[in-house]
Amino acid sequence: MTVPMIREEIKTASPNLWDVAFTQFTRAADVMELEDSLRLILGNVKRVLTVNFPVKMSNGRTQVFTGYRAHHNVNMGPARGGIRYHPNVNVDQTSAFAMLNTWRAAVVNVPFGGSAGGVVCDPRGQRTGREMTARELENLTRRFTTEIELIIGPQSDILVPEVNITPEIVAWVMDTYSMHHGHTVTGVITGKPLAIGGSALRDEAGGLGVKLVVEQAARLRGMKLNGATVVIQGFGNTGSNAAAFLHELGALVIAVSDVTGAIVSNAGLDPLDVERYRLLNRTLENYPNSEPLTEAELLELPCDILVMAGLESQINASNAPRIRAKLIAEAANLPTTPEADDILRERGTFLIPDLLANAASMMLSYFEWVQDLQSFFWTEEETRDRLRRVVTDAFENVVETSERFHVDLRTAGLMIAIGRVAEATRLRGIYP
Amino acid sequence: MLTLEKRSPYEIAQEQFDLAAEFMGLEEDLRAILRVPKRELTVNFPVRMDDGTVKSFIGFRVQHNNARGPGKGGIRYHPDVSLDEVRALAMWMTWKCGVVNIPFGGAKGGVVVDPTELSLRELENLTRRFATEISPLLGADGDIPAPDVNTNQQIMAWLMDTISMHHGHLESAITTGKPLGLGGSLGRSDATGRGVSFTVAQAAKFLGLDLDDAPTVVQGFGNVGSISALMLHDLGCKIIAVSDVNGGIYNPNGIDPHAVVKHMKKTRTVVDFPGVERVTNEELLELPCDILVPAALEEQITGMNAPRIRPKIIAEGANGPTTPEADKILYENGVFVIPDILANAGGVTVSYFEWVQDLQSFFWDEDEINKRLKQVMDASFHAVNERAQAHKIPLRLAANILAIERVAEATRLRGIYP
Repeated sequence: MTVPMIREEIKTASPNLWDVAFTQFTRAADVMELEDSLRLILGNVKRVLTVNFPVKMSNGRTQVFTGYRAHHNVNMGPARGGIRYHPNVNVDQTSAFAMLNTWRAAVVNVPFGGSAGGVVCDPRGQRTGREMTARELENLTRRFTTEIELIIGPQSDILVPEVNITPEIVAWVMDTYSMHHGHTVTGVITGKPLAIGGSALRDEAGGLGVKLVVEQAARLRGMKLNGATVVIQGFGNTGSNAAAFLHELGALVIAVSDVTGAIVSNAGLDPLDVERYRLLNRTLENYPNSEPLTEAELLELPCDILVMAGLESQINASNAPRIRAKLIAEAANLPTTPEADDILRERGTFLIPDLLANAASMMLSYFEWVQDLQSFFWTEEETRDRLRRVVTDAFENVVETSERFHVDLRTAGLMIAIGRVAEATRLRGIYP
Repeated sequence: MLTLEKRSPYEIAQEQFDLAAEFMGLEEDLRAILRVPKRELTVNFPVRMDDGTVKSFIGFRVQHNNARGPGKGGIRYHPDVSLDEVRALAMWMTWKCGVVNIPFGGAKGGVVVDPTELSLRELENLTRRFATEISPLLGADGDIPAPDVNTNQQIMAWLMDTISMHHGHLESAITTGKPLGLGGSLGRSDATGRGVSFTVAQAAKFLGLDLDDAPTVVQGFGNVGSISALMLHDLGCKIIAVSDVNGGIYNPNGIDPHAVVKHMKKTRTVVDFPGVERVTNEELLELPCDILVPAALEEQITGMNAPRIRPKIIAEGANGPTTPEADKILYENGVFVIPDILANAGGVTVSYFEWVQDLQSFFWDEDEINKRLKQVMDASFHAVNERAQAHKIPLRLAANILAIERVAEATRLRGIYP
């Protein structure tokens, strides 16, 4: 029997994520002096659906899995949020992401509410030592989609792929939902392959968004990107694309990590070559001309720019004092705890919060949904232009608010977002 | 004193399930499916109060299983409502509907609220908003609520109205326990007590017990207790003691339950009924009698008092009046216990009739309903009793096995999607 590999990030992902999201909300609500009734409504999830469902496994047995779908708020439009397949999925985490997704949409003024979901399972065999087969993943996906179908749909709740959700899984969700309705329904999930209603820029949007906000932040701080050192935690889709974009601008990517390990090279890495190596070998280990290091060490490397594109809860009170990056871009959701926020702010670190740093992936998801609604698709240039405009405007808007109220960018972004959702809630009133 | 580790109702429900599953040799895969609820929806929702403020409430709707038909189960408003309690009650509803073989699954819902602190308007707002929040799960073919603790016909009417307004037309089959003028069923209010009396009659026949002048004790004189007493009186039983929350009354020569009902209408309690002895609720349970109907609260017959409780028949009008420890003692003492999921299943059976009448928009007269109820209760009693006698097991275990068997069979036949 193989020994299950328990990754560092899983062991440290312990602070209750709902507390993190709720503290962030409360800090912004305090500055805004938000009224109590709205705090009660916006400070909690609207609904959480828990489903226990059987799946036929390859050995002929049936296994029961637990899945969640949470809606935080739907006052601005359909909820939208990720699904993930991971052993750590739980109600608090799901609720926290659902809340964050409400603010992520509102800060860029997209007519979406926030949701999140996932299934407690182990597709990569991180805990069990056994990878799930494609057939098992398909059965699980089709059954989970069926179970949560009551509360999802293009007008009510739109899914997006997150941790361990492959393009195949996305397609199975869309296919299952469409089969039940008797016709193709593309808008129930975004992040689809191009051939079935996906959008141009699907793969690069996340990385492009990081590049756009880092450029703006660097300009604001008078930092030169040419020659700036960059560390990427989480060399997945967003992380690798962000690395490639920053490399193009002349930045020196000195270290990257993914679930298989972390590597550093002071001479700099070529992100495209690392990506080729990783696809070929399915690991970062033994990449030529690099040294291995732990993920904890990677986070603490001296560098100009740290891109957090891994999992949540990575920077906390214990490692924040040792983080030496001048600029942090949160491409992941909720990677920093409120205590760590305070420490980084005191140390003068410029932190671009998740709701700005990954705004582009939110926008692209919205654009895909819009294109699916109208069944008319934009060119790559059109899509890129719209993305750039929205991300740039949002960044400026948040910076301006942060200066006006003397708060950090996260609180400023949340204030804008909460203000918009609160206004919509006030206008709509309390039913009945 | 015997102290027991406090288990949640959900843990108890799962233990009971495991016991039956073990006895019947149910396959592991089906055990894993049936011992947890299929869906659990938790909702946080705002309600506008009379003073203009907005309060946030938490509510639940759990569907344990719907392999045999739509989920069925009540909605309760109580400050102690918890997800674990609702899970357990939903699971018990699956088995109850399985025992009487009606095409329903099990569901339950609740809101954490003390309704006595709400005005009528606030109660209506809360009901309409809660109904809206859980509406993705509800439906005449999906999940059908009913009244439960602190909810009533009026609340069901508001719930039905809310869903009907959303759909633009009347949706009477979305809930049961509605007022008669609104798609409710005749016989619904008497159904549980009537069902209790049917099972007692069948048990007496099986045991060769003559019901004429059989001394009978009824604990609890609410809807279920009072109707049970009246029906058993009609069958010839001699009601010697009844009680309510304030205490009990006892007359070994017999009490006319019709007179007690009249007295209760005037004074709102049974205790100062003339010409009787006063007894406490505890003493009442230990009175010598042939038939005991616990129709009050849960956990009345425990390991402590069970050795002194020696009727020939106990018919559980209430839910869960007997603890597992007491069950064992009663069984050893040869007491014939008709378990709650059988004895009080008359309520859900007529709920089922209400739903059927709403579906067909054609309504039965009371005789027809009572006749059909008797058919269902008698057939269920015999199915459970035959199983119990064949395996020499208590009726409770036999009832659980029968119900689980039916749900398991439906699940096997339907297969695992996709």
